[in-house]
Amino acid sequence: MLEARLSQASILKKIVESVKDLVSQANFDCSESGISFQAMDESNIALSSFLLRSDGFDPYRCDRNLSLGIKFSTLSKILKCAGNDDVVIIKYEDDNDILSLVFKDQKNERISEFSIKLLDIDSEYLSIPEQEFECNVSMSSSEFSRICRDLMTIGSSVVIDATKEGVKFSSTGDEGNGSVLLKQSPSIDDDGRKTVGTTVNMTEPVSLELSLKYLNNFTKASPLSDSVLINMSNGIPVLFQFNVGDIGYIRYFLAPQIKDDE
Amino acid sequence: MYFPNRKFTINFFQLAKHPKPFTPEARDKDVSVLIKKRKTLEDDDSNNIKSENDTQLNSQVEKHKRDSKESSPDIPEDKLSFQKYNFFNETFKKSSDLLKVAPDYEGIELGVGETVLMKAIASATGKNLNRVKSESEKLGDLGEVAMAFRLNQKTLFPLPDLTIDKVFDTFHEISATSGSSSQQKKVEKISSLIVSGKNSESKYIVRSLEGKLRIGLAEKTVLSALGRAFVTYKAVGKTPTTEQLTEAIETIKHVYTQLPNYKILITNLIEHGIKNLEDVCKLIPGIPVKPMLAHPTKSVTEVLNRFENMNFTCEYKYDGERIQIHKSKDIGSISFSRNSENTTDKYKDIISKSDQFCASHTESFIIDAEVVAWDVSKKCILPFQVLSTRKRKDVKENEISVQVCLFVFDILFLNGESLLQKPLNARRDLLKEAFILVPGLFQFAISKDLRSVDEIQNFLEESIAVVVGAYTGRGKRTGVYGGFLLACYDPDREEYQSICKIGTGFSEEDLDNFKKILEPLTINQPKSYYSYGDSTKPDVWFEPSQVWEVKAADLSISPVYKAAIGIISEDKGISLRFPRFLRIRDDKSPEECTSSSQIADMFESQNLNTAS
Repeated sequence: MLEARLSQASILKKIVESVKDLVSQANFDCSESGISFQAMDESNIALSSFLLRSDGFDPYRCDRNLSLGIKFSTLSKILKCAGNDDVVIIKYEDDNDILSLVFKDQKNERISEFSIKLLDIDSEYLSIPEQEFECNVSMSSSEFSRICRDLMTIGSSVVIDATKEGVKFSSTGDEGNGSVLLKQSPSIDDDGRKTVGTTVNMTEPVSLELSLKYLNNFTKASPLSDSVLINMSNGIPVLFQFNVGDIGYIRYFLAPQIKDDE
Repeated sequence: MYFPNRKFTINFFQLAKHPKPFTPEARDKDVSVLIKKRKTLEDDDSNNIKSENDTQLNSQVEKHKRDSKESSPDIPEDKLSFQKYNFFNETFKKSSDLLKVAPDYEGIELGVGETVLMKAIASATGKNLNRVKSESEKLGDLGEVAMAFRLNQKTLFPLPDLTIDKVFDTFHEISATSGSSSQQKKVEKISSLIVSGKNSESKYIVRSLEGKLRIGLAEKTVLSALGRAFVTYKAVGKTPTTEQLTEAIETIKHVYTQLPNYKILITNLIEHGIKNLEDVCKLIPGIPVKPMLAHPTKSVTEVLNRFENMNFTCEYKYDGERIQIHKSKDIGSISFSRNSENTTDKYKDIISKSDQFCASHTESFIIDAEVVAWDVSKKCILPFQVLSTRKRKDVKENEISVQVCLFVFDILFLNGESLLQKPLNARRDLLKEAFILVPGLFQFAISKDLRSVDEIQNFLEESIAVVVGAYTGRGKRTGVYGGFLLACYDPDREEYQSICKIGTGFSEEDLDNFKKILEPLTINQPKSYYSYGDSTKPDVWFEPSQVWEVKAADLSISPVYKAAIGIISEDKGISLRFPRFLRIRDDKSPEECTSSSQIADMFESQNLNTAS
């Protein structure tokens, strides 16, 4: 059986909102170490995965490894019934095809209970090897959203060029071109307050072209985290990671487009 | 970062990469001759088999071509193993026509529209729908769009190669998808194929789904290739002789006309070999035979030469729809259209009455007929336009307002026996023994057996008319006149009366010639003594000078044309139907052309039981 209590429903809400337009369903893998899923979009271009470690729940109990097939649109509808500050308790009884969700408000005066029919999803688990990237960029997630949104008005893809100077996003369209350059900047502003700066750590300059349609999907995870980590190497999929506090993360992998000059 | 991969085999669009298999025969459909090219009467030439008739000339041409030049390196037949034929035959059947997932008569269609394809391309390649639309306008071919977008975007994991089975099965699933959110399901299925497409595969998948493969491959080529491949395969390393190839190809074409089902044909071919194919693959009620169609010819002379010193038969071409009726214990009574589509539901009113016209000893049969709309009270044939108002689907017998009558002209199968090897006169005799004439329901087509070509004249209406105007040519006929308005002369009223538009029977040379002759005769206004309907007003008018001899199928009353107006009907004229140009008559003056009263006589003497 599984029983996991999450003190803030908003975390789960945001996670589901950030993937539901990309993939329609996924198997939630639950184990002693936590809850995770991995799902590829049908075009095989993007993959999203998330992990919430068991220490992010209180309490957390999972007797044996489980794989629970869930449709995101259903889960999203049900989570809309929860208040942002509600406590969520996820429960699963063995040999059942139902997952139940209990929402309690902070005063413990309002308790709602929902259940979701589980699906039998036939998907292959793809093991993604951890690897070193040629270039690691860290930047403000809201800045990243804004750039993707702005460039979408110009073209359908964006070229990301990372150099020692900074990271440049540029887009070409039928009616014009546009680019945004972010120079490396400290994480403390002039008044000494903490902000999210831009850092670029690299062994090689990297240049990749990516579909903006997907990036604008990924930016829906921005509310989860102030910053986004972009890990890139030339010619291979890019990893975008949004950390969920210190209890987990949501990751997106995106296959690059083939640039005309390649 | 790229992850382990499952390896599949079979190079999918092998064939499509070779865009020029055989030279397609030139298709000339200028004059469609109304005499049905039927089997000659006292025919002892047994390869002149009914269904094959129309392909025979062509295949001879093809044979000749093959002998003289190519050894066909274009089709990599040895690379294609036989299991794959099921797929490419059934799927890549026609380049310009519909690509099929099943034999015609099963009525299974893909049912994929442009919007569905565009959505699938967008979702498979990570583009917006608008991008797909705009690119499609630019490139003019969704297949190209799919390929360009697909090749432009990497995937996270290398995808398994597409197999023929996988594509074919998916096509089947798509055609079987129906009901709620079927569009979405189709999009997903198509998208999954496009995603897996390597190189140009996505292009051909999309084109296949569109029903336009555009590789210049006709069904006949596929049949030829099948025969050729089988013989080459059996020869194991040796080169088969031309005779062997020709024989195999002819056998396959022949069998296919009788049993248009690749699955059955190929299964039997592999199991029983080419020698026994004709014995195992026979005509059976329930599977429509490819109908014998009229053979297009360039000129009437060609037809006349063919029938010289022969006995032949002429038949009326009834103004209806071709129908093939099958009956046996196993299948009951069913009917098929010219395109082998099942039309049992549409014509259930006559099909269900088959007991009325079958003789007592007739148990199973396949007959070939024309179904026409029938006026029950006047006991006459109604025009095709009336027939076409009948419902096609979900017909309720008591709601049928347009009654129909069958005009039967051939029998292909009777009481368990194929009649295809029998000559037409024997088949006709059997037809008349096996069925009972039921006026207004089941009639035999009126025919005439003739010995000399001159006698055909009685079947065709010939007249001489004056060119009074022309229509600007479009398409192929750009720069010359595309059609002409003809008129006959009424000496009583001293006027030229429009009789028909004519657009067939001309060679390109003729058209160039007419341009030269007629252009100087152009006048700005029609002559005051031209009588014509506004809807037939030509683009240019001419002086009455050019006289042509034309032949027509028959004459009919027309509210549009003015010939013989006031003679047969107060306010309606007579028109020539399906007129064909024969020759210029320099020897006649415009006033000497067929007169209105002659036209009226011809109309009245038309011995047809059509409505008047």
